[in-house]
Order: sequence, then C-alpha cells, then structure tokens
Amino acid sequence: MTGVEVRDLGGGYAPGRDALRGVGFAAAPGAIVGVLGPNGGGKTTLFRALLGELPVRRGEIALPAPPAYVPQTDRARLDFPVSAFDVALMGAYARTPFWRRVARADRDAARAALARLGLAEQAEATFGALSGGQRQRVLIARALLQDAAVLLLDEPFGGVDAVSAARIEALLAELRAEGRTLFVATHDVRQARGWDQVLCLHGRQIAYGPPAAVLTAATLQATYGSELIVLEGGRTAVGVGHHEH
Amino acid sequence: MVAWLTDPFASPLLQRALAEVLVLSLACGPLGVWVLLYREAYAAESISHGMLPGLVLAVLAGAPLVLGAAAGVLVAAAGIALVARDERLGADIGVAVCVSALVGLGALLALAPASPARLQELMFGDLLGVTGRDIVLAAALAGAAGLALVGGYRSLLLVGFDRGTARALGARPARWEPALLAVLAVGTVAAAPGLGSLLLVALVLAPAAAALALTRRLPFTLALAAALAGISGAAGLVLSYHLELAAGASVALCAVALAALALLAGRQVAPAH
Amino acid sequence: MAPYLQRALAEMLLLAVPGGLLGTWIVLRRLAFFTHAVGTVAFPGLVLASAWGIAPQLAALASALGFGAAQERLTRGRRLAPDAATGLLLVGALAAGVVLASDVFASGAGVDRLLFGSLIGVSERDVWLTAVAAAAAVALDAALRRHWLAAGFEPGSARALGLRTAWADRLLLCGIAVAAVVALDAVGALLVGVVLVVPAATARLLTRRVGTLRLAAIGFAAAEGVAAVLVADALNVGAGPVAAVLAGTVFAAVAVATSARAVAA
Repeated sequence: MTGVEVRDLGGGYAPGRDALRGVGFAAAPGAIVGVLGPNGGGKTTLFRALLGELPVRRGEIALPAPPAYVPQTDRARLDFPVSAFDVALMGAYARTPFWRRVARADRDAARAALARLGLAEQAEATFGALSGGQRQRVLIARALLQDAAVLLLDEPFGGVDAVSAARIEALLAELRAEGRTLFVATHDVRQARGWDQVLCLHGRQIAYGPPAAVLTAATLQATYGSELIVLEGGRTAVGVGHHEH
Repeated sequence: MVAWLTDPFASPLLQRALAEVLVLSLACGPLGVWVLLYREAYAAESISHGMLPGLVLAVLAGAPLVLGAAAGVLVAAAGIALVARDERLGADIGVAVCVSALVGLGALLALAPASPARLQELMFGDLLGVTGRDIVLAAALAGAAGLALVGGYRSLLLVGFDRGTARALGARPARWEPALLAVLAVGTVAAAPGLGSLLLVALVLAPAAAALALTRRLPFTLALAAALAGISGAAGLVLSYHLELAAGASVALCAVALAALALLAGRQVAPAH
Repeated sequence: MAPYLQRALAEMLLLAVPGGLLGTWIVLRRLAFFTHAVGTVAFPGLVLASAWGIAPQLAALASALGFGAAQERLTRGRRLAPDAATGLLLVGALAAGVVLASDVFASGAGVDRLLFGSLIGVSERDVWLTAVAAAAAVALDAALRRHWLAAGFEPGSARALGLRTAWADRLLLCGIAVAAVVALDAVGALLVGVVLVVPAATARLLTRRVGTLRLAAIGFAAAEGVAAVLVADALNVGAGPVAAVLAGTVFAAVAVATSARAVAA
C-alpha cells in the first residue's frame, strides 16, 4: 500500500470563507497520525477534504483508495431499528450492487469485525441500546468492513469507557501493523505522544512531524490558544469546551 | 363471526375498495416507515394537504383525478421548497403559509356556487367509487413506489442512519433525500383518489408508527407496516359496511387506532446518551 | 350594512389582535404546526357541539385540551417524534369528524362550514367571546412577552429563570389554543393559521424587531380580514378560503419584494 500525501490543501464550505489553509504533509503506510486542534479548528474539515466531500477545495491530495470514516458516535441515529450486526454490515454496502443480497463472506466479515472489537455477544443487540463506547466500537467495525487502506477516526475516544478505549487502542495498533494509514482526531495530547506523526491544526497547519518534535509547549500554545491548561511540572493538557451533542 | 367479517366483501363495490386499499398498503406502509425515520411527517402532511387545488382543478376541467393529484403535489412541493429556503422564517412557518394558501385556494375554487367540484370527496376520498381502472392505476403507481423503496433500501438506510458518513459508505444524501420525497409524492398521488387529500396520510404514517413501536429490525418493520396498513384497510371497510360510516374515514380511524394501541403497548426507544 | 356583515367585520377586526400578538410568538417560537393542529382537532368536537346544541367554543377548548394531553402521552418515552404525533392526532381527528358528521349532517354543507368558516355563522356571542379573547391576548402578551422572548432566544438564561418560564410557555400554548378556538367560526377548523400565522409571518419578512413585528402583524391581519369578508360576501363563499388566498398572495408579494431588496443589499 502507498501512503497519503497532501500538498497545499485549503478550502471550506462556502466560497471565500476558508475553514482550512496551508495544509501539506506525507504519511507513510502503516502509520498513525494524531490530528490535534480546537473544535472548529479544521480537523473535521480536513477529514471532509480527504473524503472528497469538501465543497470548496484547493491543492492536491494523493490517496491509495477512498478512505473509511468513523464519526463520533453521537452522529448516528439511536432510534433506528438496526442491530450492531446491521450497522457493521453497512461497510459492505458500497461493494454490493442494489439488486443483490449482501454476500455471505461479508456477513461473516461483519461478525468477525464485531468479535475483533470485543462485541461478539452484542451482535444482535439494538444499536441504540448499546453504551457509548460499544456504539463507537460498532462504528469502527463498520469501517473495518470497508477494508480501506486509509481510515479517518473522529475523536473515537471521546466519552468512551476504559474497556472500549483499550480495545480501540489495540485495534489501532493492529491496523497500523497491517500497513494501513490512520488519522485519529483527538484532544488527548498524552495519547498522541505514542503515535507516529502528529498534525496540529488551527485554521491552518501549525506543525506536522514526529510527536517529540511537534508536541512542544509553543506549538500547543499556537494550536489551542486559550484552551490550553498547564499542569504541574510544566506538562500541558488541553481543556476543551465540551461541545453540545 | 366469520360471516360478519366476510359479508361486506360479497359486493363488488367493497371488493374493489378492498383491492384499492390493499394495493395502496403495500407502498404506503413501508413508505411511512422511511418518512418517519427521515423525520418528514410534517412534509408528508403538507404535501398531501397542499395538493387540494390540483384535485379541484382536475374536476373542474374534467381531467383524470390522478393528473390533478400529480400537478397538485408538484406545485405544493415546489412552493414548499421555495418558501423553506427563506432563512428568516424557518422551514415550518413557510410550509404553514404555503399549505394554508393552497388549501384555501382549493376550497375557494370548489365552494364557489357555480362550481360542481365535490369538495368532500376530494378531501376525504371516494373509496367506494373506485373503478377497476382506478385500481390498476393505483397499482402501477404504488408498485413503482414500492419497487423504488426495495431497490433503494440500503442507500436509504445509509443516508438515514448516518448522513455524515453515508457518502463514504456509498450513498449520496444529495441523491437519496430528494429520492425519498419523490417516492412520497408518487405514493401521495396514488392514494389521493381513494382516501382524499386530508386522510391519505393516515395510511402512510399510522401503520408505520405502529410497526416502529413493535419491531427491532428494519426489514420486519417495513413488512409489518405494509401488513398493518392492509389490516387497517380491511377492518375499516368492515366497520364502514356494518356501521354505515364513510369508508375512507373508517380506514383512517382504524389505522390511527392501531397506531395508538401499538405506541401505548410497544417498547421504549432507547434513551439517547 | 347587513347585521351579519357587521358581525363578520367586527369578528375579523377583533381577531386581528390575538392574530397579530400571539402570531408574533407563533412565528418566533416556531409553533405553526401546533397552531394548525389545535384548530383542526376541534373539528370532531364542533360536529358533536352542533348535534348536541352546546357552545362550539366549549367543544373546541375540550378538543384542544385532549389534543395536548394525547400529544404529551404519545411523545413520552420518545417513541414518536412530536411532528409525527401531531400528524397522527390531526388525521385521526379529521377522520373522527367525518365519521361523526355522516350521522349528524344531512348534507355536506355543515362539514364545509365547520372546516372553512362561514360569514353568516358568526353570532353576537361569538363576537363577544372574540373580544374577550383579544383582551386576554393583550394582557398575556404584556405580562409574559419578556419570558417568551427569553425562552425563544436564550434557552440557557431562560432555564435560570426556571419555573416561571415553563409556566409562561404553557400559558402561551393555552393562549394560542384560545385564539384558535375563537377564530374557528370565522375561518374554519382547517384555516386558523390564516389569521394566526400568515399575517405575522408576512410581518416577519419586513422586520426583526418584536415591537414593530406585532404592530405590523395586527395590521396585516386586520386589513386582510376586512378585505376577505367583503370579497367573500360579494362571491357568496366563506371568509376562510378567501382570507387564505388573500393572505397568501400578500405574503408572496412581500417575500418577493424583500428578497429582491436583500439580494440588492
């Protein structure tokens, strides 16, 4: 697999009003890129651009294949009559023509993906009845089914219980070992230190590179501005305004 | 007891009414499920109420009612789309303005002393007056709507469940949201002659609401909605025969009563975290 | 001028007051569907009132209460979205009214009158009741408009005001129900929005300031109401449909004119 390369990317949702500009980086296959930045700072805009869904876009994007996207769990509807299995199976819809039933192999893959995320027993449960962390894992299982070379995860650890978080972390490592490129939007600076690259966004690209080089006080200050909290010992953390769901 | 249920259908009149209602149920039931899941109940209500002038003009011009229904729905949908675009008011105010103007216009045209239009049949349907040709027409329209829903099942599910990710999963909201409204329009046109502009929405929304309260997996929901719509239709006709009530209204009442029962008895929706 | 015409004109002018005052809040707080529903669900009650000889306004009020309670019950537990519940109750009420009417009214004219209003159907008692409703609307608006404004635009700070805002909102819904009830005889169960929603919506196109909005809404409602009565009398039809077409046309004209202005700006 090849990696992801972006050159001089900019754009937004309306002409003349850029949500993001000056983004350029190269991520190798088999890497986890942490994407940091305040809410509204461009993380989701970048993901939209990578998905090819940004209305106004300049610059170049080179992707091996269309990425899979894992949204924050509260974006999906909780009142739909679907089970966890049904949701996971959605990842196979794109490759199933409308006149055919979803292939047996894909059904098996959906069960396998749920099991991989520790949800084998919840396969028949109604999606809306699951906990937040479980639902996030189901959405990741759905992305797994797309078998994509590039995955975009939008704050997958937000409000998720410890068990789910551990499962997700383990999975990310596995996917990385399989040679996929993962972009993980997060507010957890400590977590980002453990990954391969970090991209800091605040309307524009502040920095990109290995965590040791990027996660300096100055860069974080430029990225988060007033949302930054300095803990004792000079370690920094991000106190983010909790966005309304 | 069985005789009580089957007696009504000895007459060809009621046989045709039953055929009409069953044909409509196959489309309106599943359509209603999608309308509710997409939270478009207000739109469904508005499009059906707003087509009244189209129906009246068809009667005045001596044209087939289905044509009037189609024209009425198109005008209503276009008007609603236009007004909903105005950000100052918000969509539901604009829709309210548009629909009340259209309903008023329809009533004005129909109630003018010189007008022969039978307003009540247009508003409440003429289920007992359906001919074989009407049934074939309804079947064609309902069939088209039903087929579209079957073919679009997975795409509609993707867009409805998680609009933001739908495109990455292979279904574009910009295509499927209008598609659902188009199917709603076709279903509305199909049901208008039999049930009337004011009552047809009962067959769309009520069985679907009941089905959603009683099932946990979407394929069963869609099937149950069609079945409950058919049952409401048959039950409504039986009641209308024995109690000498208006046929369309009886069907609508049965559907709503079924929905009320199912909602009171059915499961709780999982609370949003 | 014939007595029935005098009463109809008085009724429409009086209706303009709650129409404009409460209509402002209906538009600002997005309560159009509720308003339409409150009017429409009165239909079966009106049929019964006609059969049993009781005051229609009483039956309409009872229907409004029943509707509110049923709406609350159906949407509890979030099994059904509010719009869907309203839609179901609406169509159920219409069907019930039709079923009841087929026993009560010999011809269709009775149903038409209930659904679309009638000029000759406005009695002196109706006009007095409307006057009372108008006064009540003025009083309610004067007392509660600050709460209604806060709850509509700053729900956070409104929550801090707490219980009083919740009660203010309930009173707003009650006020709307009362206004719809007194409008029924003039414009009919299906068209209460013509008095309560469309004039205020038209005014909203012209201004955002609440004070001006209210006055403009009353103005539009009054002018449209009077014109509708006179035209309806000339055409020998009910006032409701005429008012609907008139109000809709005025709205469209204002919308086109102001959007052209907005584009030019």
